[in-house]
Amino acid sequence: MKALTIAPLARLPVAMGVAAFLFLGLFLLYPLWGVLSASVLTPDGTAFTFGNYARMLSRSFYRASVVNTLMIGALATITTTLIAVPLAFAIARLDIPGKLLLIGLAALPLVLPSFVGAYALLLLFGRAGVVTQFLNSWGVPFGSIYGMPGIVAVYTLTLYPYVLLPTVAALKAIDMSVEEAAQSLGSAPARTFRTITLPIVIPSVLSGALLVLIETLENFGVPAVLAEDMPVLSVETYKLFIGETAANPSAAGVLGVLLIVLTASVLIIQRRYLASRRFATGARVAPPLIKISTGWRIVATSYSWAVVLLALVPFFAILVLSFMEFRGPVLHAAFSLKNYVELFASAQRPLANTLLFATLAAGAAAFIGVPVGWILVRTRSVWTGLLDVTATLPFAVAGTILAIGLVIAFNAGGLVLTGGWLIMVLAYTVRKLPFTVRASSAILHQIDPALEEASISLGVSPLRTLIRLVIPLMLGGIISGMVLTWVTVASELSSTVVLYSGPWRTLTIVMFQALEGTGAGVAVAAASVLIAITLVPVLVAYRLLRRYELSML
Amino acid sequence: MCRSFGPVQAVRNITLQIGDGEFFTLLGPSGCGKTTLLRMIAGFTELDVGEIRIGDKRIDILPPHRRNIGMVFQNYAIFPNLTVEGNVAYGLKARKVGNAEIATRVADALALVRLHGYGARWPHQLSGGQLQRVAIARALVIRPQVLLLDEPLSNLDARLRVDMRGEIRELQQRLNITTVYVTHDQEEALAVSRRIAVMQAGRIEQLDTPQAIYRRPTSLFVAQFMGTTNVLTGVVGSRTSGPARVRVGAAEVQVADLDAREDESVSVCIRPEALQILGDGQTAPAGMAQLEATIANAEFIGALSRLDVTLAGGIPLKIAVLDELAGYAKPGKSIRVAYDPSRVIAFRRDGS
Repeated sequence: MKALTIAPLARLPVAMGVAAFLFLGLFLLYPLWGVLSASVLTPDGTAFTFGNYARMLSRSFYRASVVNTLMIGALATITTTLIAVPLAFAIARLDIPGKLLLIGLAALPLVLPSFVGAYALLLLFGRAGVVTQFLNSWGVPFGSIYGMPGIVAVYTLTLYPYVLLPTVAALKAIDMSVEEAAQSLGSAPARTFRTITLPIVIPSVLSGALLVLIETLENFGVPAVLAEDMPVLSVETYKLFIGETAANPSAAGVLGVLLIVLTASVLIIQRRYLASRRFATGARVAPPLIKISTGWRIVATSYSWAVVLLALVPFFAILVLSFMEFRGPVLHAAFSLKNYVELFASAQRPLANTLLFATLAAGAAAFIGVPVGWILVRTRSVWTGLLDVTATLPFAVAGTILAIGLVIAFNAGGLVLTGGWLIMVLAYTVRKLPFTVRASSAILHQIDPALEEASISLGVSPLRTLIRLVIPLMLGGIISGMVLTWVTVASELSSTVVLYSGPWRTLTIVMFQALEGTGAGVAVAAASVLIAITLVPVLVAYRLLRRYELSML
Repeated sequence: MCRSFGPVQAVRNITLQIGDGEFFTLLGPSGCGKTTLLRMIAGFTELDVGEIRIGDKRIDILPPHRRNIGMVFQNYAIFPNLTVEGNVAYGLKARKVGNAEIATRVADALALVRLHGYGARWPHQLSGGQLQRVAIARALVIRPQVLLLDEPLSNLDARLRVDMRGEIRELQQRLNITTVYVTHDQEEALAVSRRIAVMQAGRIEQLDTPQAIYRRPTSLFVAQFMGTTNVLTGVVGSRTSGPARVRVGAAEVQVADLDAREDESVSVCIRPEALQILGDGQTAPAGMAQLEATIANAEFIGALSRLDVTLAGGIPLKIAVLDELAGYAKPGKSIRVAYDPSRVIAFRRDGS
């Protein structure tokens, strides 16, 4: 038999690729396998069966959870697109005042925790909400925001940048001459927009919309806050697994597999669609702003600012409310620092945990994601394709499901991780890996491989070349990937809620527990701290993020 | 016509008349205003002052989509969301032409640019040269009154460029369509145009046939822009009958037609190919003048050989010869060079 030989230059990518596969195999694929097998084994774990699926799907409550999840997803995707596309057009093509600030503010909901947004909606418009009580005191009836309307509203306001940013980029990337060609061929501006501009940007709109759909399918925090009695897949999976009466891993496994199948199919469609339909335009000259009448300019300006500000109102409301006094769940109009005093008295440890976990996960995600990004850009093989798919998979796996898988996989046997902090950091690292992978491969596409070849030909080993030359050149992309990882881990709830144990509570858990009980004041203070610790790094790294955020979508 | 962008005057006081069916070229270095002028005709840049007419009809007040002008863009501007057929049919659909007629006209247009059978392809499946043909077919199929071409060959490789320019010229002749062509490549301009306007800093420096522009440039800028030339500075000697004499260093150059006073300093231009090397013992033909020179360097580049020589007084001169170099190509060798004084052009200090 011929011995396996690896060319000297291929040794480094092979070694790093093997390490990446080992990590993802152990902490992503093996846990998912655990979820899948739990769903197809008899409760005693000895025989193969489809009985669990039959049993779960025979119950109308769980069938409703699938339908509700899809309904919410479809509605939120449509509303998001309807809001974001006109906004994108206004930003890219119309002369509206304060555009730079507008774009900056419009990107913020991407990093602000949607869970906090949902909580704000509850505090304002919930049964005991500030606005609700105010309206009731004037005798104005107010409908319920619980269930579908509230959830769709929160998703729309927090996820619209997923459609907005790629659409703005696509509108700006159309070369001016393409539209001019249409006009010189006799096409009026409106027809040119309908027949040329719109078809060219539609792939970007749809790819953003599909990302919104994935986000809504796997989100846990928003339905956990607002769904009340309405069954939603991610929440029901969690309830079945944690089970206040009796934990039911096989039932949770069934819902988990259903959810993964849904999100993975959407992700596959999104990637396929992107690959086949994205038009390489590469503008030399971006089209000029369209001249519009003063009336239309006022309409466009008010619309743009209204959407962007409305999306930030919940977060602003949280900050204001955090300085007011709560008695139980009831709010009093008095300025006070009491909430913060209470938070720092009772939740110092969760705050420290949040910061620690975010930092560890950002470091780990960069340590693994940067080499993976380098392999994806610099090598071509079947294995590269497989690594790409595996490293993108976390996008399609709801945090709740990954966490359940990790518990099933590392609850017993040779490697026991449950109950500790490591399993939480591992879950975060795996979930946010696509950020650092995408950010590093995006920037690597701009670095000429001849630089690396020059370094190697000058006698520097491939590994040293990577560390001394390539990584410093990639720094902008790496840092923006890490900042995104950091801020999203800090506000992570879905896997935390499954994995945390006594001493390892985080700020999001403090908020989550306050929903059930009476600690509304502490929760609002915790939410404000969360907003602050996600906003500060984003503002510091703002320029970097603006440059790379698109590549991470 | 005038156009300024802020403080920059891109096009200043240009008046042009282009004949029916003429192939007219705007030639000049980048930033000279040629593209601005073309975009004014197409309607993408507004005029500050002036007007544009096609025949009797004033078009500068019409929006671009009402002008019926075909334009081929530098980067082709092929619609990426439409097939080749869709691209070519685009302007016909905008004109609400019937489907049957669209089909025949699109097929004819594709056959015209030798892209028969490519209709169903997508733009990303085509090469640069093929995209170029689609762009031309798309612009011609609407039967425009005027065809505008904005550096259409600049994105093609050298070989294809030469083929394509021949094809464009041939097509233009066959359809007899009035064409305005923008380029910065003087060879391209000379090869295709009936008339050329050489532009600089928003002005037309010279407007004439290719031969006249090459042989009899009216300014130093045009002489230098149109290919390689030797520019020698000298002082006009005593004016008697016959060719004027200009002292260049220690040498003397004869100029057939000189409009300058005695002792005025002038620039003298002579093309490298207007200089002939005389063999040993050979005398200059009748009517030719001659110069003594020393070979400094010789370069064989295929069809031509290029010589760098120095005149008495160390003034460098370039010579291009079709013959091979053997025999006289040794650096340091003294040679004699003959030239026709009528091919020497002199300009005053102010460039005229």
